[in-house]
Amino acid sequence: MSDWDIAIKRGVEHNVPRVFNVLREHPYLEELARKVREGKLEVSSNLDYYIEMTMKSVEKIGGKAYFAENSQQAREIVGKIVGTGKRVVLGKSMVAYETGIRKYLQSLGNEVWETDLGELLIQLADEPPSHIIAPAVHMTRERIRELIKEKLGVDPGDKHEDIVKVAREFLRQKFLTADIGITGANAVAADSGSIVLVENEGNIRMSSVVPPVHISITGIEKILPNLEYALYEALVQAAYAGLYPPTYINVTSGPSSTGDVEQKRVSPAHGPKEFHLILVDNGRRKANEDPTLREALLCIRCGRCHFHCPVYRALDGKWGDPPYSGPMGAMWSAIVYNDYKPALLCSHAGNCREVCPMRINIPKVLEYLKWKYFNTK
Amino acid sequence: MINTEQLNFIRKTVTKYLMEDYLPFPVNKRACYEWANGLNIKKGGSTILYTGCSYQLAELGKKFDEILPFLPKFKSIEKFSPLAKIFLKPKNERVNKILRNVVSLLRKAEVDFGYLYEEEPYSGTILLELGMLDEFREYAKKLVNFFNSHEVKKIITVDPHTHYTLFRIKEMLDWNVDIVNYFQLLKNVKIKGEGTYVFHDSCLYSRFLGMRDLIREVIVSSGIILKENELVTGKETSMCCGSPLAPINKEVSEKIAKTRAEALKSVSSKVLLACPFCYANLSPYVESYDFAEVVKVE
Repeated sequence: MSDWDIAIKRGVEHNVPRVFNVLREHPYLEELARKVREGKLEVSSNLDYYIEMTMKSVEKIGGKAYFAENSQQAREIVGKIVGTGKRVVLGKSMVAYETGIRKYLQSLGNEVWETDLGELLIQLADEPPSHIIAPAVHMTRERIRELIKEKLGVDPGDKHEDIVKVAREFLRQKFLTADIGITGANAVAADSGSIVLVENEGNIRMSSVVPPVHISITGIEKILPNLEYALYEALVQAAYAGLYPPTYINVTSGPSSTGDVEQKRVSPAHGPKEFHLILVDNGRRKANEDPTLREALLCIRCGRCHFHCPVYRALDGKWGDPPYSGPMGAMWSAIVYNDYKPALLCSHAGNCREVCPMRINIPKVLEYLKWKYFNTK
Repeated sequence: MINTEQLNFIRKTVTKYLMEDYLPFPVNKRACYEWANGLNIKKGGSTILYTGCSYQLAELGKKFDEILPFLPKFKSIEKFSPLAKIFLKPKNERVNKILRNVVSLLRKAEVDFGYLYEEEPYSGTILLELGMLDEFREYAKKLVNFFNSHEVKKIITVDPHTHYTLFRIKEMLDWNVDIVNYFQLLKNVKIKGEGTYVFHDSCLYSRFLGMRDLIREVIVSSGIILKENELVTGKETSMCCGSPLAPINKEVSEKIAKTRAEALKSVSSKVLLACPFCYANLSPYVESYDFAEVVKVE
């Protein structure tokens, strides 16, 4: 068995039964998933309207909102906010990876650290992520131990807990001294301009609260009509990803503020003094115009489809263009990179459609992308 | 990972053979219908048993997948097709037994049906599954005209890929025909089976055609014992055999098959299935049997 085969077998055996149990124990989650789908469909049917509403809402609560048509624009916007010579902590954003933010900021002379443990491992190994929310799922704990020994000069031991402890000690210092924190967003509420982030490690909370500047970079498909839908999205994402209840759900609405002096709301308070939201298009609006491909925009990045897909498992996690992998990655490779080739590898097993909380007919979308591949040649 | 030249070859040559001969590659048509010799099935009729030549060509298709990466390199390969149409006549007694047993089961169910013998066309599955939808649509039109000209009103399928393909044709084109699968006609038939197996679901039967429970009911009511494991045989967890990927990437297809076979073996040493392509991909790695191979009419 290869390292990948061992790692993915362990990952599946831990994750799949756990998600089944979560859904059995909390039957309301399926209803919430239906609501999130409903909210996402509403936004996709009026996308430009909701983008504008979101940007106005962010400005209204003291934040700054930007729209980036493509990766280059996203990098330029982030680069202008960050500048050079800063310490930056990144709180796991697939859109940051998609747009090449980490390497771009490093090229400007900044010190940049991924703070999600999986992402940190990916950074240390200089490898692409192999799963949308478990980026280091291809690494066995034995390999992680060797990697940490080599890159951080500490032997963490063989136990999962000890590996996490070493990462905690290493990153804590980075959080406390960072100038800027960059996160993604699981959901963005159009009515309030709030972003919602769900996590378990605490790194996103640290990245979004401790540094004086918080930048959130996310795709326009993450917009939901209001904060109620956005909070549901976080619950649903956590449940279908398999860690439920999530340790943390963070709601960020602009820079830190207080109303403690005569109930007048002023900003900043103890948290960040600046909040920036960058909404990235990068092919999403074009996909939204396509009646088949727009279904893919409903994806909430729970990564459940990966663990149920025979092709993803057989391809050592290297199916799709990073950071997008697995069945959802084959769709998103087309949206973001105009790459239809990954879709050709779909064996239409159909498990992905069965387990998708958004009920995306992934095999149908991939069949369509196969046709696009042949049709555009 | 994806050999573009190979894909182009399939697109061009398979489409050509289908449009010319109703078969995906050059082969003696007797290989498709000889199994029916001596069974006295009438020719044609408004209700037909339709094999789509799937069971008969599944093993040959696997060999075709093996040499596929080399075929585009032989520029004069076309010259050999007239010879192949005469001499390439795979015979498979196991497949004959399966199809003959399906006929016995349907007769026990008192279903009246005919068969098209040498005229029976292939369904076009390979084009559909590879996403060559324009070519598939063209072939589908030809197929619908063919069935209409033979006044076929009801088609009984015997494998999931053909069944699903016909459904997709109905969805794409205006085609007034009933499509039923032989499992759907066996609900009240006394079938005798025995032994303990793990059932490997066809992805199409289980997740695209809604037949998962029906097939299990037919199997279990025969007396066969099925062992289940939520992580191996569940609707959401049972994995593909890898066969649909064989024309794209043989190695990935085989890796999927091996992984699936290992998972199935962890539940039971003997695997029962109901698809010729699943059999072709899994049987090298685990003891496998088709449902119609192990049951008898009581």
